[in-house]
Amino acid sequence: MAPVEQPHIPLACSFHFYESVSLVRLTGLRAKTLDELATLLADVDHEVIFHHMHQYFLKETAEAPDYPNDFAQWAAESLEDRVLAERLANVDPFEYESLEEVREALMAIIDEHLDAMPYPRPVLPGKEFFFNQTFSIVVPTGLDAMTLSQFRDELAQVDDSSIYYHVLEARLRLHKKGDDFSQWLEDCLGMTDLAERIRRIDPYFTTLNDLRSEILALVDEYMAMEL
Amino acid sequence: MSGRHVKDYEPIIGRRKVDQLYRLADGLRHLRFVNVNSTRTGGGVAEILTQLVPLFNSLELRARWEVAEGTPEFFDVTKRMHNGLQGQQVPFTERDTDCYRGVNTYNRKLLDLEAEVVIIHDPQPAALIEARRAEQVWIWRCHIDLSHPLRKVWRFVRRYVINFDATIFSLPAFVQRLPIPQFMIAPSIDPLSDKNVELPEGEIEETLDTLGIPHDKPLLLQVSRFDRFKDPIGVIRAYQMVKKNIDCRLILAGGPATDDPEGEAVLSEVMDRAAGDSDIHVLLLPPDSNRTINALQRAADIILQKSIKEGFGLTVAEAMWKGKPVVGGAAGGITLQIRDGHNGFLVHSVEGAAYRVRYLLHRPELRQRMGEVARESVREHFLLTRNLRDYLTLTYALLNPGTDVVNLQA
Repeated sequence: MAPVEQPHIPLACSFHFYESVSLVRLTGLRAKTLDELATLLADVDHEVIFHHMHQYFLKETAEAPDYPNDFAQWAAESLEDRVLAERLANVDPFEYESLEEVREALMAIIDEHLDAMPYPRPVLPGKEFFFNQTFSIVVPTGLDAMTLSQFRDELAQVDDSSIYYHVLEARLRLHKKGDDFSQWLEDCLGMTDLAERIRRIDPYFTTLNDLRSEILALVDEYMAMEL
Repeated sequence: MSGRHVKDYEPIIGRRKVDQLYRLADGLRHLRFVNVNSTRTGGGVAEILTQLVPLFNSLELRARWEVAEGTPEFFDVTKRMHNGLQGQQVPFTERDTDCYRGVNTYNRKLLDLEAEVVIIHDPQPAALIEARRAEQVWIWRCHIDLSHPLRKVWRFVRRYVINFDATIFSLPAFVQRLPIPQFMIAPSIDPLSDKNVELPEGEIEETLDTLGIPHDKPLLLQVSRFDRFKDPIGVIRAYQMVKKNIDCRLILAGGPATDDPEGEAVLSEVMDRAAGDSDIHVLLLPPDSNRTINALQRAADIILQKSIKEGFGLTVAEAMWKGKPVVGGAAGGITLQIRDGHNGFLVHSVEGAAYRVRYLLHRPELRQRMGEVARESVREHFLLTRNLRDYLTLTYALLNPGTDVVNLQA
């Protein structure tokens, strides 16, 4: 246990690690053309948008995706429209305060594209865009941290889905540009500087495991400095 | 084969994933689960139930497996229903529907469906839903490719399906317009089964010796039935293109086509095409050749699954689990397993297959790296324990209708 953190520990202010277990729920909605995608995207639930903007983070822990959301991936692979794919890939869900704003950003790009190319061709059968959503269960891991060194050890061993839950999902759950880790470091351990550095990590272009490594590196650096 | 414990998988998936299964099971111990299908042995559904039911029980969940009975006429009807649901033109008459209903009525009396959660696999026992009691949860698990069902057959089955609480499909492309929740659960492989378990190096070489395959040059392999949709002729053509530049062998491993005239025709075309080339090995393996296929996959340098149409294509996951890059046709579930350029290659033509095989043969390091990524993809997404977790997660979803997130208490 690093002696440095002792003075900062308020009583009963421990960090509880949770994991997120999820299952894909199929809506039955499918789009054969960009036009149909736009029509359906305008009305689908926020949960559907959340799923397609985030599921890559859960799905691709072994390898980084070409495009970080399903809309961009579909544009590239099924519509074979790289320009559209690149533009959609640039919609970073973490820059927006709400899923409605994410929807508007996507729609603006698609509408502009449709206005420029008003006769979209259909994709091959089986290559349609299938609108899905996520059902998830938040499971306590039983791992609680009271100190920075405990936090570091537990962060190193939790499931990737725990990183997903506390860093990526937290941003939408808490409706702010932050994550559970930095909030706890700031509120409970008073480590504002470390919290800020963790908050500055760009989660959009990394796998969950890389994200974990980046946070661990910052924590290690902080602990080394304090020693 | 059966009777494994979830803890047996700990060396493969890690303690945390096993603990997670226990934590999920904790909230479901008050429930009894019963699975119903129509055969105890043979076929993918029986295989998955043989594996899954003991794993449920090893988590101290109460799970059973009931097998519906049927007459030869019933199985003829349900075989046609199966083919019709997969899009084939089949006769389907009123006499067929009467037979289907009659056998299901008989099974309602025969089977013990006393459980809180009833999981019905495939269309054969779907009409058992009429035995449903209000307090039960009924799930229809469809293992077949429903992307283009024959309408008259689907309309008949659909009448039963809409009375379930939920359906499960293997791919988003199989989704239907239904008034009940639909979920996706991808199929899985069992890393401890004969088909996938680690083999001693000696056994791999012994298998090649027994089959008369010299291990003197790179080995390309496709494991599949002799079926046009698996494109074995395309695989030979791709091999011939590669062979102009790189000396290699091709192994086509499939089963003997005993009761399938179409299969016999394809096999005979394959034999003609392979004639005169002693580096092409066409193997007709008996159905229980799991260890042999395992050894072939481990011996191969590159594995192909050049399907033109595919349901899920679990042979891809099997190959990837052995750390091999797969060159696969961009069809059905293959696109869900291979991330092009990351853990294998997706191809759209014979030329594409030849190009990617050559590309990989020239790059042993890339082959190794891709193979490692492939194995990790399977560990993450296509192992039996993930399938088990999905069933537990689905149960929570159905116990909490109308919610997207369930918080379990510490």
